[in-house]
Amino acid sequence: MSEEMKIAKVMDLKGLPCPMPILKVNKGIKEVEIGQVIEVWSTDPGSLSDFPSWARTRGHQILKTDQNGDVTRFYVQRIV
Amino acid sequence: MNTLYYFVLIPMVYFSFTVFFVGTGIRLVKIFRKPKQSTSLQIYPEKRPQWLWALHDTFLFPSVRKHKPVLWIFLILFHVCLLLLMIGHLELFGEFRIFQIIPHEVFLGKGFVGLILCLAVLFFLFRRFLSPVRELSVPEDYYLLILLFLIVLFGSQMDWARRWYGYEELLVEDYRTYLLSLLTLKPELPYNVINSGHSFMLVLHVFFANLFLIFFPFSQSMHSFLSLPMNKLRRG
Amino acid sequence: MDPKTREDLLKLFQGKLNEAMTFYLETCTRCGVCIEACHVYASMGKVRYIAAYRQEIVRRIYKKYFKARGNVWPSVGDAKELNDMALEELYEAAYSCTGCRRCMVYCPFGIDTQMIMSIAKLLLVGAHSEPEILTLLADTSIEKGKSLDIFKESFLTGIKKLEKDVVKKWKMEAGGTPIPMDVQGADLLFVALAGAHSIIPTAAIFNAAGENWTLSFFEAVNFGAFVGDPGRTQLILDRIVKEAKRLKVKEVCICECGTAFRVMKQLAGKQPFKVSSVTEVHARYIKEGRIQLDRSLLNGVVTYHDPCQIARNGDVIDAPRYILKHLTNHFREMSPDPKYNWCCGGGGGLVALGEETLDFRMKSSKVKADQIKRTEATTVVTACENCHTQLCNLNDHYQMGVDVKFLSSMVADALVQK
Ligand code: HEM
Ligand code: SF4
Ligand code: SF4
Repeated sequence: MSEEMKIAKVMDLKGLPCPMPILKVNKGIKEVEIGQVIEVWSTDPGSLSDFPSWARTRGHQILKTDQNGDVTRFYVQRIV
Repeated sequence: MNTLYYFVLIPMVYFSFTVFFVGTGIRLVKIFRKPKQSTSLQIYPEKRPQWLWALHDTFLFPSVRKHKPVLWIFLILFHVCLLLLMIGHLELFGEFRIFQIIPHEVFLGKGFVGLILCLAVLFFLFRRFLSPVRELSVPEDYYLLILLFLIVLFGSQMDWARRWYGYEELLVEDYRTYLLSLLTLKPELPYNVINSGHSFMLVLHVFFANLFLIFFPFSQSMHSFLSLPMNKLRRG
Repeated sequence: MDPKTREDLLKLFQGKLNEAMTFYLETCTRCGVCIEACHVYASMGKVRYIAAYRQEIVRRIYKKYFKARGNVWPSVGDAKELNDMALEELYEAAYSCTGCRRCMVYCPFGIDTQMIMSIAKLLLVGAHSEPEILTLLADTSIEKGKSLDIFKESFLTGIKKLEKDVVKKWKMEAGGTPIPMDVQGADLLFVALAGAHSIIPTAAIFNAAGENWTLSFFEAVNFGAFVGDPGRTQLILDRIVKEAKRLKVKEVCICECGTAFRVMKQLAGKQPFKVSSVTEVHARYIKEGRIQLDRSLLNGVVTYHDPCQIARNGDVIDAPRYILKHLTNHFREMSPDPKYNWCCGGGGGLVALGEETLDFRMKSSKVKADQIKRTEATTVVTACENCHTQLCNLNDHYQMGVDVKFLSSMVADALVQK
């Protein structure tokens, strides 16, 4: 993972309860090209475990997870 | 003509009763031998004892009374009359002491049982032509009701003729001879049964009844046997 | 549809034909008693939303392939072939039914429409025509169960962040853990939803009652049940059963989620622990004097919406009323008899499908909105995540101007600190 990771799109999902973040990110990732990365912000504590398991079932990759206060940032790369 | 009468009154009766009893029996055994539902299907709050409430739901149709009171009146009349008719038919085989606790001439109800049934069936039938029950109904529902209507109509005609118009040619004794002969497997057709002016009614009555019995095990009429176990599931 | 697919689908169908299902498919007399039972029909007036009509969509296929009649005389029962058109009809029938089982109360035989719709849902899964979202959510849950270790740490950190909010609601003695996790030998395992609102209030109540509890790693909701896939339903359930056994808890307490509760209570089978709803547990604390509530916080009439899967289908009816008696003097029933309560209109996965179903959910639940308005309540309380979301949506759509609240959060807010 390089420092200058290119972000194709940012999704602000703060305040959305489970399961909305997963649904949104599942939709959002289909809107970028394969190989591109999206950045997702979530405040739902469930996302911390939901995102990795979602990525595994759908074959995407979570490159990095940043926690900053209540907000978690996920960097997800579209693989398929 | 006599051959046709003979066919309807003897071989076809045997055939339809066989289909009815064997068919219903086999189907019920097959259904009850399927794996049981592992989870509860109960509706709450529950009332105890549950089996008693299941019986109540099965025989008194409380939910129909609550939501479709007019239908309920006809349903209760219909099913009670059906029961009375079954007793009536048993008495066509011979005397039964227990049924004579309330002394009566054969066919309970002075002919009105049949009349009520006719009206009830007509009510069910016409309901089915009104939306939205019409959109729910399938052909079998109409066929069953039409069959029932024809059975009850011709059956009642014989009863009414005797009681209300004093028609004395075709009597209970004649039916008894005929039916007992069927039961003892020495079928015979007494002269009156096929040669009186009203014999055609008997033949039509029996013909439609045969059709009904043959169709019964394969139709929604099986609700009569399945209602109790289903209501038990709901009551828990 | 090619013959191979049809054959596979019919095998799935066959697998559902246990005794009860056969009763239900054989019996309907099309008497029409259930016509007004369904909130969708009552609100929208379209024949295809009558319970018996939905059933017939499945029953026609049954009549075609599983009754001798289907070969001899298919037209007598309007038997129908299983093809792509039939799949579309199945979709329409199943995903406009919330599985509330109100119609089952009406039917003189007690036919369970939800159960018949489970065939429709299974066929749709088999044909890969089910709503993709529900499968996605179900798969995500299952994956979590398989690879707990991978995300355990990050989840724990996420939960830690909630602890300060728990303490705000209930001050603990020094040294206590506001949200205990992974506690071997705890008395009670709390299975919540992965949202703060589902965890914080109840955590505070447990602490107030001095409960020896532990929070589950998994969320309660069972998307497998929504999508009608028995395999996935079981896998999602098993994660929790395994955790409960590992920790040797005596009781598994399910958060305010109707499906989760019913699935857990009825499908878990015989287990060394008992299953309760969080509402029952809270009522117990009040009864045993372990928590005290302040009755003066609420103004105006309060009414309670019985979540179908918890009340009519789950037997938790008295507990919420008992709790509400301790929260207000102005409680008013919504329906004269809880078994006749209208569904909120959001069950069966419809709320989880989100925006996609919003328009339908609003139109199909007009009777619910009217029922709430008739109570003249200013606060509508419920104990199910789905119902809560749907009631909030209804509140906006029909401009009802009520407060929609979770029972658990009302209990937490009313806790009296001794
Ligand atoms: C024991 C519980 C029973 C229940 C709950 C029950 C209920 C019903 C209901 C709801 C109908 C619908 C009427 C309509 O709209 O067409 C009906 C019709 C009918 N029942 Fe029953 N019934 C029971 C027993 C029986 C029995 C023992 C018989 C005897 C054979 C019977 C024969 C019929 C017939 C022939 C019809 C009308 C035909 C039809 O609609 O298909 N039922 N019953
Ligand atoms: S279960 Fe509920 S939503 Fe489904 S048909 Fe029955 S009343 Fe309507
Ligand atoms: S009430 Fe029951 S038997 Fe009557 S039409 Fe509805 S589902 Fe069928």
